[in-house]
Amino acid sequence: MSSLLKLSQVEAYIQQFHILHDINFEVPKGEVTVLLGRNGAGKTTTLRTIMGLNPVSKGSVVFKNEDISNLKPHLIANKGIGYVPEDQGIFGDLTVGENLRVAMKREDQETTERLDWILDLFPDLKKFWKKPGGQLSGGQKQMLAIARAYVNENDLLLIDEPSKGLAPIVVEKVMETILQMKEKTTILLVEQNFLMASKIGDRFYIIDDGQTVHNGLMGELKQDKALMKKYLGVS
Amino acid sequence: MDLIASLTVNGLATGMLIFLLAAGLTLIFGLMSVLNFAHGGLFIWGAYAGVWIYYVTNSFLLAIIVAIVTGLVLGLITERLIIRPVYGNHIQQILITLGFMLVLQELIKVAFGPDQKAVHPPAWLEGSFQMGDVILIKYRLFIIAIGFLLFLTIYLILKKTRIGLIVRAGVMDREMVQTLGINIRFVFMAVFMVGAALAALSGVLHAPYSGVIYAEMGLEFSILAFIVVVIGGMGSFTGSLFAAILVGLAQAFMAYYVPALSLAVNMLIMTVVLIFRPQGLFKVKG
Amino acid sequence: MIGVILKSMTKSNLIYLGVSAILLILPFILTGRSVQFMITQIFIFAIFAMSYDLLLGYTGIISFGHAMFFGIGAYTTAIFMDRFDASFGALLIAILVAVLFAAIVSFIVGILTLRLKSHFYAMLTLAFAGLFLVAAEKWRTLTKGNDGFTFKVPEFLRDSTTIYIVSLICLVLIFFGLRRMTQSPFGRVLVAIRENEERTVSLGFKVLHYKVMVSVVSGVVASFAGVLYMLSLRFVNTSVFHTDVTIDVLLMTIIGGVGTLVGPILGAALIELAHHWISGLANVHWIFERWIILYGTVYILVVIFFPLGIVGTIRSKLSGGSMQKMLSKKKAG
Repeated sequence: MSSLLKLSQVEAYIQQFHILHDINFEVPKGEVTVLLGRNGAGKTTTLRTIMGLNPVSKGSVVFKNEDISNLKPHLIANKGIGYVPEDQGIFGDLTVGENLRVAMKREDQETTERLDWILDLFPDLKKFWKKPGGQLSGGQKQMLAIARAYVNENDLLLIDEPSKGLAPIVVEKVMETILQMKEKTTILLVEQNFLMASKIGDRFYIIDDGQTVHNGLMGELKQDKALMKKYLGVS
Repeated sequence: MDLIASLTVNGLATGMLIFLLAAGLTLIFGLMSVLNFAHGGLFIWGAYAGVWIYYVTNSFLLAIIVAIVTGLVLGLITERLIIRPVYGNHIQQILITLGFMLVLQELIKVAFGPDQKAVHPPAWLEGSFQMGDVILIKYRLFIIAIGFLLFLTIYLILKKTRIGLIVRAGVMDREMVQTLGINIRFVFMAVFMVGAALAALSGVLHAPYSGVIYAEMGLEFSILAFIVVVIGGMGSFTGSLFAAILVGLAQAFMAYYVPALSLAVNMLIMTVVLIFRPQGLFKVKG
Repeated sequence: MIGVILKSMTKSNLIYLGVSAILLILPFILTGRSVQFMITQIFIFAIFAMSYDLLLGYTGIISFGHAMFFGIGAYTTAIFMDRFDASFGALLIAILVAVLFAAIVSFIVGILTLRLKSHFYAMLTLAFAGLFLVAAEKWRTLTKGNDGFTFKVPEFLRDSTTIYIVSLICLVLIFFGLRRMTQSPFGRVLVAIRENEERTVSLGFKVLHYKVMVSVVSGVVASFAGVLYMLSLRFVNTSVFHTDVTIDVLLMTIIGGVGTLVGPILGAALIELAHHWISGLANVHWIFERWIILYGTVYILVVIFFPLGIVGTIRSKLSGGSMQKMLSKKKAG
């Protein structure tokens, strides 16, 4: 098992507040790793810290055998990490096409192929190509955000709660897509929706109060009702 | 009829100059949330550097080029030395850029002398056209043409090119742009320099228009630029065009019909806008 | 009574009182009219700068039109003294009107813009100050326009020593009054707003009320400084409304030290002295004629490297940084 991303004893602050105390986990190549935990446990902060949007005050973030902690966000992105933030970060005044074009570092054959592939998964994006991103529905925004992170040849995608605020049928669709993308890339997913997490995740880490407290294979978690109740409030 | 046409041309010409000044400022604010009160200093340096070359070489074209270069260089210096240390802090930005404004203004007096300078348009732009009853002054038409051309160029760049899309995306959500692998600081520096060059260009074009330049114009035009940016909606490029033309026309008509109030007209428009539509005429969507 | 006062005195209060006492004796030693006049100007601008510090230093509000309140006080006094007799009664009425007028204007500006982001207050005060300047220039029947006019003041205030002492007493009273206010629970809420406005809101404080209140107090004090300025100058013109006046008071506050009240007093002294001495050096070297360059540069360096100003920096050195690093706080958006 070769790990693409590895966080060791990571600590982080937001202003004066100590949010991450001790985060340790590895993301193996080619798998979907899921971060679970209650609201406010520090999952989103973990993703932001990996992305360089929040400084690492202690510990290390190693990506492809290189310490990327405290690099500028654009350098981290250029190492091959795509990011889908919790609020999707769609540029509201830009059309669907323009949103994707901002992201495309090259407009070569390969990028075009990736674009075509993802657009086949999300035909809505093709349909609303000239519509401003701000006018899309929640599900469409989510798909645009995922497509935008995917269109460059990234080795790792960080996806923050893709099911948030979406109707169950749309969640289904997003889940299918992520399952398909899994064939092509490695994914680190933050997800509250346990059903979705358990269907697409290979491996999980539970974050509680800024610490990784438990991990294992997704299959094991499904059996362990006590653990789920304790940390996730799922019964 | 001829009166109204002539006032309109006046107003449009003034508006275009103000637009060139305000366009950079609004993008700088939109992109990095930077409040730059030294913008008028770039305007006045463009005016003096250009006019000096114009005196020496008698070439207005060369004057324009020198003004633009001055703007680019001063823009780079301002961004590096003055803005960088205070990123993210509005209060400090307002304070420090205001201080820098004063320094720029005084340095004008050191470099070019404290007296005001008279400037005439070049021979090829002097005089006027007669269309029926309406007399159209060439230099004003020239300013309007340049203003519209630049507006269109920048508009198309923002609309059609990837760099333009990046700038617009950065105005909406600069964090997200970074996570797409784009160095926003670099983009910002480029925008800052272009904005400074536009302000300097506005300065050199303004010189023959008003016929006279003096150092204190720096602070006056800093304030004017801000007023226009607030009216147009902070961060909105198109908004800055409409606000600039509105202010230009209002000034021209007020100066004729209610001269007592012409000095106050900018302030009046801004007050009304702040009271009824504090986000400005054009709101930038996040 | 006196015992109670003495007991409540802290060490710093004793120092301030000591300095005040020395300043009180000073005019009997320095009897030159021009020296007394200059120190009086320092006192008056110190009052004005303290009013600015309430906004910028304590609450984190920037005003670009503070000159307007100063000018309101100045013109109200001048017009009353000119139109009515130069009696003490007329002066009292003038002060009352000046203060009320400033309170109303600052209330209106505050209500309109203090709920918005910081630069809106700055811009609207700038706009209003611009309008007052235009009014002062154009309403010639009342103001005699740009040229201004001279006027008489009540008999007993014509002596330069008297006006010196009156200004000093006002300065001391206002200083202790504002100090009291900033150390009260009200003042602590102001500081909380400056440090983190959202958190103050979420703690349940009506931030807008506090901001409008401090804006009114600041306007009133600035207006009063304008009244004193007129009593010492006995001449008014539109320059009291100029942006330069606002910039001067801004420099005084920043260089002296924001959020300290003593800082602005020191800043006022420094800037006034600099106006005086440096311009006197103009024939030594041309750079002194362009002293704003020096000042501006010092000011920029202060903002970057010593955002607490002279007094604030000394204090934080002494107390190991208990003054919050107010201006270095990052605040995006």
